[in-house]
Amino acid sequence: MFELTRYDGRHRVRGSLYLSIGLSLLAAMVIWVYPSFEAEVDLEQLLAAYPEPILQVMGVQTMASLGGFLSFELYTFGWIILLGLYLAYATAGTIADDVDRRRMDVLLAMPISRRRLVGERFAAMAVPIVGANVLPPIVVYVGARLIDHPLAATDVLAVHLLSIPYLFACAGIGLLASVVFDRAAIAQRVALGVTFALFLSESLLTGTDAEPVGAIAPMRYYDPNAVLLEGSYDLVGAGVLVAMTVALLIAAQLWFRRRDIA
Amino acid sequence: MAAIELEGLTKDYGEGVANDGVTFDVERGEIFGYLGPNGAGKTTTIRTVLGFISPTAGSARLLGRDVTDEEQLLEAKRRIGYLPDSPAFDETATGQEILDLHGSIKGDERSAELLELFDPPLDREIRAYSRGNVQKLGLVTTFMHDPELVILDEPTSGLDPLLQQRFTEFLRAERERGLTVFFSSHILSEVRKLCDRVGIIRNGRLVTVEPVESLLDRSGKLVRLHAAESIPVQSLEIDGVHDLETDSESASSGGTEHVFTFTGDVNALLEVLRSYQLLDLSIEEAPLEDVFMRFYGGDGAADGSDGGDRVAAGATATDDGGDDDV
Repeated sequence: MFELTRYDGRHRVRGSLYLSIGLSLLAAMVIWVYPSFEAEVDLEQLLAAYPEPILQVMGVQTMASLGGFLSFELYTFGWIILLGLYLAYATAGTIADDVDRRRMDVLLAMPISRRRLVGERFAAMAVPIVGANVLPPIVVYVGARLIDHPLAATDVLAVHLLSIPYLFACAGIGLLASVVFDRAAIAQRVALGVTFALFLSESLLTGTDAEPVGAIAPMRYYDPNAVLLEGSYDLVGAGVLVAMTVALLIAAQLWFRRRDIA
Repeated sequence: MAAIELEGLTKDYGEGVANDGVTFDVERGEIFGYLGPNGAGKTTTIRTVLGFISPTAGSARLLGRDVTDEEQLLEAKRRIGYLPDSPAFDETATGQEILDLHGSIKGDERSAELLELFDPPLDREIRAYSRGNVQKLGLVTTFMHDPELVILDEPTSGLDPLLQQRFTEFLRAERERGLTVFFSSHILSEVRKLCDRVGIIRNGRLVTVEPVESLLDRSGKLVRLHAAESIPVQSLEIDGVHDLETDSESASSGGTEHVFTFTGDVNALLEVLRSYQLLDLSIEEAPLEDVFMRFYGGDGAADGSDGGDRVAAGATATDDGGDDDV
């Protein structure tokens, strides 16, 4: 068991390391600019200058603390949007690209069930998902101390740990697209489009009559502001994300099991 | 129990029937050639047998297992090897990594020995492989777990002549060890060299299945005779003479040359020829290419246009001239 996961995982290690370094640089930059930002800009005035929808989309609650600043500059932008889209995109390439490039015949000729193939490929996405969360929390924690705005270690750890089920759910969207479409390019575009649409539906519909629509968006169940500003960890939300991931995985497996390989 | 059993296998893609009621068995220990032009439906049959696509109708059994039942199919797959018509591997991996992955999933009994025969550059990434090297790696992965049955889709494409020869010898030796081989081809000399039996498919329908010798028997002999005197064409109009060509000019030592395909009784032919002074006479097996032409007609698409020259198809023949070419 898990031979394919090991194989895929090994091939994703290097990319995940680069991803982790890139995100660490983003984190370092955000933390580095914060003191001058805080000193030279009237943050309340700046916030008031932004139209409300923008603040809502970006998840801005306050800029008056490093936690609030990080929560939208780094976590909403870097994790919820960038990483979420990246994982949906990368996972959408897994199965569809094998079919597209005719590698699937060789794989499926081996004694491995279709369900297992999908499951193992998906499990290997743990490497970039976890990998992206290895270096940045250290950079954030140490950086915050260096600029004398220390953050609680448990909060930093929690904001990263809770992002893991969120990122798996985004990967799950990609996986479903990957088994439904034969062409990797189409699967990836659909995964990007759906993930971004879910993000917008969640952030724009909050506070409107259509708010319940956002309930299907993974973004609703991961809230960096709550963690970094209030120290509250939404474990129920994490549970919902795990359930979403499992549902998407099972749906992808069922679909892939029935379809013809083009 | 046969190695492969197909019963009325049909695959309808909507825009055309790729396989239409294909029925035949591949017996254990034989090399079975599946012959047909490109687009005849060979790959569709193979991919249905392996469970990649599901049949619209009919059934397929692989080593006695129903291929539409995934559990049963997996049991069969442990004991088979498959080489697709253009095998593709993860481009970013090295050959060695591919072998390790395959070995970890299906076992590795003999890759070392196979790598002496077919030697892809294992340290290199697949993206840098030539087509021939990909094919060699494919052959190693197909045989490394010492399967009972191998299914090969156009196996020699991409191999240079030397390697084709090596592959042919290897396959013969494997048959001696009891291996069953099912391979598709549109290259007739290959089928003739290797196969015990041949199934011919055309426009998704199986035309005939028979031993390769009887196919050659029924296809007739190629007769080439060189007579000192001119033989009137009328006297050669005996039963079983086809495609008669007469050439009185180019024969270097004078006289006339006649070349024709003969499917009749050799004694009747010799009876006629006895009354002429012959310089030379050769009667040899017709090339399989000619046999093929008889089943497909001149351009491989027209149906039955060569009328009297057609060999009656075998017991399994179905031939209503459907034009579903997928």
